[in-house]
Amino acid sequence: MNGPLRFLCTACGKCCHGQLPLTLKDAFAYAGLFPLCMIWTPVQRGSRDFRMARELGVAVPLTGGREMVSLIVPTSFIPSTYPCPALVDGKMCGIHREKPSRCKAMPFYPYTEERYQAGYLRPRQGWECDVSEAAPIAYDGKRIVLRDDFDIEKNDLRDQVPVLRGYAEHMLKYSPTLPERLWQASLQEKGGQIVTSLSSLLTATRHPEAAEIASKQLPVLNAYAAKTSGDPKLSDFHAYYSGWAKEMEYMSHAIPRGI
Amino acid sequence: MKPMQETLVAGDSGNAYRGVCPCCSGLPFDACCRPILEGKPAPTAEAQVRSRYTAFAVKSLDHVENTHAPEIRADFNRAEAERLAEECEWENLRIHQAVEEGDTAEIEFVINVRRNGGLIIKAGRSRFRREAGQWLFVSTKPAPHLEHAQSTKINRNDPCPCGSGKKHKKCHGAAADGS
Repeated sequence: MNGPLRFLCTACGKCCHGQLPLTLKDAFAYAGLFPLCMIWTPVQRGSRDFRMARELGVAVPLTGGREMVSLIVPTSFIPSTYPCPALVDGKMCGIHREKPSRCKAMPFYPYTEERYQAGYLRPRQGWECDVSEAAPIAYDGKRIVLRDDFDIEKNDLRDQVPVLRGYAEHMLKYSPTLPERLWQASLQEKGGQIVTSLSSLLTATRHPEAAEIASKQLPVLNAYAAKTSGDPKLSDFHAYYSGWAKEMEYMSHAIPRGI
Repeated sequence: MKPMQETLVAGDSGNAYRGVCPCCSGLPFDACCRPILEGKPAPTAEAQVRSRYTAFAVKSLDHVENTHAPEIRADFNRAEAERLAEECEWENLRIHQAVEEGDTAEIEFVINVRRNGGLIIKAGRSRFRREAGQWLFVSTKPAPHLEHAQSTKINRNDPCPCGSGKKHKKCHGAAADGS
């Protein structure tokens, strides 16, 4: 396990499905493509990723002076069975050159420390990543070899921390039940999540282009609401999309405050 | 700022509440929250809580936005509030305690709304501050212990919730008393 590990993407398209964690920068840049929300994931003290979560995430005070740590990740929120909307013919990325830093940095994962990345180089079941001797060395001595994209994403995540902390402060102030919900989510065996809206982020951060971003989101959400309508397995997704669409509809017409 | 009257007079939900005020005061809408939604300052912090609740029920959210304290006004997620107002049936507001001290006030309340058929109960304690005669919302904390508590009823000899300072039986309660 400590020897060099090899990796080459074969463009099988298998990892281009379901939720896609994004940087804030990428989320706003692709507001016209992905249905966006914020996903809060509590990270247990003592877990492997706790240190990174404390660096890139937020501290959430609990009653009795205790505290938990949560990631807040802008996310393309699509069902795990759905392909990425940028995927062409099931395999090729339609925005390859400009794709989000999350996609460029695959298979590495920025919310895990560099020394623990080895596991991500093992293809998941059904994925066709090339990890044979023919592939280039990607990870060696617990260091990422081909690291430019990993560093870019990590830096973007570090840069956005103050914004996320401000957002968390806003949410904790106005959604007083959030800590309790996060706590409940943290008790779930498979790692629970709390979903909050893009409208709350745009409001909390006083985003100067909120109306513009909202008008890009609106058709995306409407399309996903239509796609998921009538599928009982995806009724939760459908409810999210249609509810958020109402918020984006309002926001797209709103006159920026303070003007 | 949009004129409030338009929304109220033209809106269906506004018309629907011409009778009894949605805030559950038992008073006529025209004599309770309506004038406040139309710009008259709320006489008491409690009346302001009631009018803000009514604003959701009749989808007149300019009032909610404008009665935020200035330092938190930009925090108001109007888009989400509009959605909430639209998706929920505003079933019930109960005021448990209203304490005014000079220009500050704390109001404990319980709200029952129905969303997609499910009942949601929100209990909270909100702080208000009076500025230039207007009671402004400052902050709120959850008060889960109130969710199952009994509501306070307006007794004949209680102060009238309209804020006149008169007893309820001598003011808006007079009609109810007589009938």
